[in-house]
Amino acid sequence: MKPMSFGILRGVRFQILSEGDLDRIHWATLHVLEKVGVQVDSVSCRKLLKDNGCEVDEKTKIAKIPSHLVNEALVKKKSSITLAGRNPKYDMKLDMKHSHMTANGNGAVAVDFETGVRRPSMKKDVVNSSRIIDYLQNIHCHWPMVSSTDQHPSVVHLHDFDASLNNTEKHVMYETGVTISDAKYLTEMGYIAAGGEKEYRRRPSSSCLQCTYAPLQHDAGVMDASLEFAKSGVPLVFFGMPQPGATGPSTLVGSLVVGNAEVLSAITMVQLSTPGSAVIYGMGNAPLDMRTTIRAGGSPEHALSSAMATELAHHYGLPSCVGVSATAKTPGDQAVLEYYTGCVGPLLAGADLMCGVGLLEDSSCLYYEQIVIDDEIVGAIARLIRGEWADDDTLALDVIEKVGVGKNFLAQKHTMQHLRTDHFMPNLIDRRSFDAWSQAGSPTLRDKAREKVKWILQNHKVPPLDADRQKQLNAVIERAKKPMWGGETKR
Amino acid sequence: MGDAVTRLKDAVMNYEMESIADLAKQALKDGVDPLIAIEKGLAEGIKTVGEKFGKGEIFLPELVMAAEAMKAGLAVLEPAVPKGKHRSSAGKVVIGTVQDDIHEIGKNLVSTMLTSNGFEVVDLGVNVPSNDFLKKADEHSPHMVAMSALMTTTMPRMAEIIAPLKKKHKTVKVLVGGAPVTDTYAKEIGADGYSGDASGAVDVARKLVR
Repeated sequence: MKPMSFGILRGVRFQILSEGDLDRIHWATLHVLEKVGVQVDSVSCRKLLKDNGCEVDEKTKIAKIPSHLVNEALVKKKSSITLAGRNPKYDMKLDMKHSHMTANGNGAVAVDFETGVRRPSMKKDVVNSSRIIDYLQNIHCHWPMVSSTDQHPSVVHLHDFDASLNNTEKHVMYETGVTISDAKYLTEMGYIAAGGEKEYRRRPSSSCLQCTYAPLQHDAGVMDASLEFAKSGVPLVFFGMPQPGATGPSTLVGSLVVGNAEVLSAITMVQLSTPGSAVIYGMGNAPLDMRTTIRAGGSPEHALSSAMATELAHHYGLPSCVGVSATAKTPGDQAVLEYYTGCVGPLLAGADLMCGVGLLEDSSCLYYEQIVIDDEIVGAIARLIRGEWADDDTLALDVIEKVGVGKNFLAQKHTMQHLRTDHFMPNLIDRRSFDAWSQAGSPTLRDKAREKVKWILQNHKVPPLDADRQKQLNAVIERAKKPMWGGETKR
Repeated sequence: MGDAVTRLKDAVMNYEMESIADLAKQALKDGVDPLIAIEKGLAEGIKTVGEKFGKGEIFLPELVMAAEAMKAGLAVLEPAVPKGKHRSSAGKVVIGTVQDDIHEIGKNLVSTMLTSNGFEVVDLGVNVPSNDFLKKADEHSPHMVAMSALMTTTMPRMAEIIAPLKKKHKTVKVLVGGAPVTDTYAKEIGADGYSGDASGAVDVARKLVR
């Protein structure tokens, strides 16, 4: 039996790209960065690049980055990253041996669990989803899943973070640090929750995911905030998301090159500014569906792109954080097909982090039932990728000899010992006979998921942050509140 | 003359982005009325392509290429339209992505879809300062202003434009969209319409602009 640890221990891996392919993708990316360049909207980042020998055009804001800077950045980055949980038992060691599943993030809509009404998301949705994620054993990392749109518009994302920190002991990753002031407030809140800057730097219990803008652009606010985060010791994911056929070439590898140029140039800027900072390689290239104009989250192309991005990240010695989502509008059938397809490919390829589960309408709408359905999907895949091996214990020759011909293995100690580790025990999948199932009211997967959500919300208690830290978090939010453009809106 | 107009229509339907400008120049040289060339040629072509897209016979890249071809043709023909005359359209729309937001694709798709459905579209681009929306509305007197925001953090920008816009232009309609935007939010900030995707935006626009 392999040792227990947090995360999914990987035993098998399938390979899509050869070493030669990965080299060609890297060289193509360096070519793009040198010849085409990237648009850098941040004044301070342009200066940083110029001071380090990049060719920068102040009019077009395009910076052309020489290969050596990129290669140096890949050497400078922090080599081992642990994303800590409030409770150390939830520490995610990104050791390239474990995979971790995160919640999906920052939709703006939720389907009310009580009324079934699809409505703007509220802080109570962030609270409830945080508690559910805390409970589920196959989800290892939390994200604020939706936005607290019932709070003052200037501090919505701080409420999201506050509700998350208070309602899960797992690591919290957010994606809303898009200006320097956001970065400062979010960092301060992260420090408070961890018990101070020193403790946070030792065990960062929150982190930030930053999206680049395809094709080949870096938003000013996002990059300024990123440099601030790096300086403050906040681990960063840089997440490219060109849509093959729309904001990237139609070919998946072509779009990987575009996304790679964005991610590597962001990492280069951060490493020039704060050498040795913790960066994670992110990518989520779902094509644009050419019939509906909707991003095809959870498509086989999305899965393959995330798998290939993982191979590329590992080629660079970086942990990966890759995307999965679903375009389904309701939990169940289509959502399962999309989430299973989207998760299994990248996890088989060794994704270190996958973001994330529980949202529908391509990461827009929270549907509580889907969170627990996805937990079940990940549980099944975890079994799939654990791997098998032949040793004395698994070959079970002694047991086979003992039982002999024509008997059964039910009463063997060996059977009992391996049951919990070697056989996936489903929570929602219904394996009863037809009669037993119909007598129980013929529940669907979704019915069972609903029951489970109900149970978690009624029974699962998350130890709260201590009162003093809660007070300090509230104080930050109050301080950050500011009038919005064009005066106050209702919310 | 009829042939020249048909050729322009076919050029849009065959996505002839590179050669359509020359066809348009030749048509003008041959004395074709630029207004007829636009309305019976380019506009008819894009309408047919739009219908095929709606039926699922062709896909988005073809629609976008047809719209590009139409734009290239318009660039030649429109300046030749005599002053005081206007091509007929389903309505005039000023469109852009709000300030601090550089997400382009959704806005471009709506722009393309509106164009292919006969609207005259003035595209302001991305990261458009709120004041520019107002200035361009003064300049073009559109039937509708359409705004896009992809981030929860930039969404409130839409709210700040609507009030002053409606104060000055009583009849102008406002369409909003983007991933975090909802019907409820649209109503709350005083927008007239909302759509979750580009095809839906056309239906809403048709209802708003009559």
